[in-house]
Amino acid sequence: MGEVIVITSGKGGVGKTTTTANIGTGLALLGKRVVLVDTDIGLRNLDVVMGLENRIVYDIVDVANGNCRLKQALIRDKRFDDLYLLPAAQTKDKTAVNTQQMVDLCAQLKEEFEYVIIDCPAGIEQGFKNAIAGAEKAVVVTTPEVAAVRDADRVIGLLEAAELRDPKLVINRVRPAMVKKGDMMDIEDMLEILAIKLLGVVPDDESIIVSTNRGEPAVLDRNSLAGEAFMHIARRISGEEVPFMDLGANDSLMTKLKKLVGLGR
Amino acid sequence: MTAQVPSERYLQPVKRADHSQSGNPGTSPFPAENRWAEREPMDPVSAAADFRTVLIRRTVRSGQSIHYPGNIVVMGDVNPGAELVAGGNIVVMGHLRGMAHAGATGNEQAVVAAFRLTPTQLRIANHITRAPDGEGHKPDQPEVARIHGGAVIIERYPATGVRNLNG
Ligand SMILES: Nc1ncnc2c1ncn2[C@@H]1O[C@H](COP(=O)(O)OP(=O)(O)O)[C@@H](O)[C@H]1O
Ligand SMILES: [Mg+2]
Repeated sequence: MGEVIVITSGKGGVGKTTTTANIGTGLALLGKRVVLVDTDIGLRNLDVVMGLENRIVYDIVDVANGNCRLKQALIRDKRFDDLYLLPAAQTKDKTAVNTQQMVDLCAQLKEEFEYVIIDCPAGIEQGFKNAIAGAEKAVVVTTPEVAAVRDADRVIGLLEAAELRDPKLVINRVRPAMVKKGDMMDIEDMLEILAIKLLGVVPDDESIIVSTNRGEPAVLDRNSLAGEAFMHIARRISGEEVPFMDLGANDSLMTKLKKLVGLGR
Repeated sequence: MTAQVPSERYLQPVKRADHSQSGNPGTSPFPAENRWAEREPMDPVSAAADFRTVLIRRTVRSGQSIHYPGNIVVMGDVNPGAELVAGGNIVVMGHLRGMAHAGATGNEQAVVAAFRLTPTQLRIANHITRAPDGEGHKPDQPEVARIHGGAVIIERYPATGVRNLNG
């Protein structure tokens, strides 16, 4: 029986879809059987980021409403036989699916897959409620900006209220040079406010834009620093202990990061 | 409980007591009138409301609010975007970064105490204060906010300095 992990943030544009695509592909690279579920109905783009847009026939709304069987809607990845996508509908809205349907869907998917990774829409309304309904674990994505951290905090509170305990944090789009100068929100301050376990820190990296436009997640690009960081996150999710990458931040910060996740002294 | 909405004109930056001068020895930041033992008995209903205390043992996060007719004690942090509204006192045994309103039904004796006191905004009875603009004050010790001389002030807690265990 697999585990269902929702990737969420509150704020839009912080990297949920990018994180979902990369964690999913990373886990597939590790030989896991994975399905990615796009719950951003009406604004779907996980299919584009995965380069699978032209294969969509049925979508999550069709499955929820019984217009097709689950198997018919699942799209197999181009590169990995054990990686699948359940796309969102583009012509409907968030109310086209309800939470009970999501609970049932997730229960079905985790019979088949080791990891069910759910890409959550922005916001805290129906779409968010649907995305977390069937999940057992949560990853909260934020960027080192005050507004994103505020929204992450809001979402962590809602996750806790929904009994989704111990969410993990991904800090995306960190700019090493700005962190060094003290111009970006301090990672330590973020961890102090949010008070949840850190799963990974991903640098801001142009290769993400290139890979997104090509429909090839950055974990597949050996030269991408962000891809490497996402690969580390996938490893940690699969239970491996992976040390934190040195993003050129000062030594004391790296030492603290390592301590926070119980790695090294 | 309906909290009074303080009027805008009270929205003044808070005065932080000068910590370099040692506090007036022997004065408690909790005014004598606020100590239950010394207070005149009130009518039983409102008196009971005053002494009731709710204990919150978690981080209070953005978007969450706790309203209580008596005192509120939080064992954890109160993050920006969270609000605490108490008829009585508020004590945060952690970092208060959100909004706290003590004495919300008009009690000017109410205080707000925190292990680290850097609220977004602080209200006591019908006074509202905020940190002066551009002030990134980072307290390194517990502090208490109360009304003094018609304005909210913040003092180190305990105001008398370090407790002497040897009596
Ligand atoms: N680490 C990164 N470095 C550079 N660009 C990034 C990074 N992560 C995300 N982006 C870009 O930010 C934008 C928003 O990302 P996306 O994953 O769609 O966010 P969300 O799903 O949270 O709305 C996209 O254009 C994406 O390419
Ligand atoms: Mg998205």
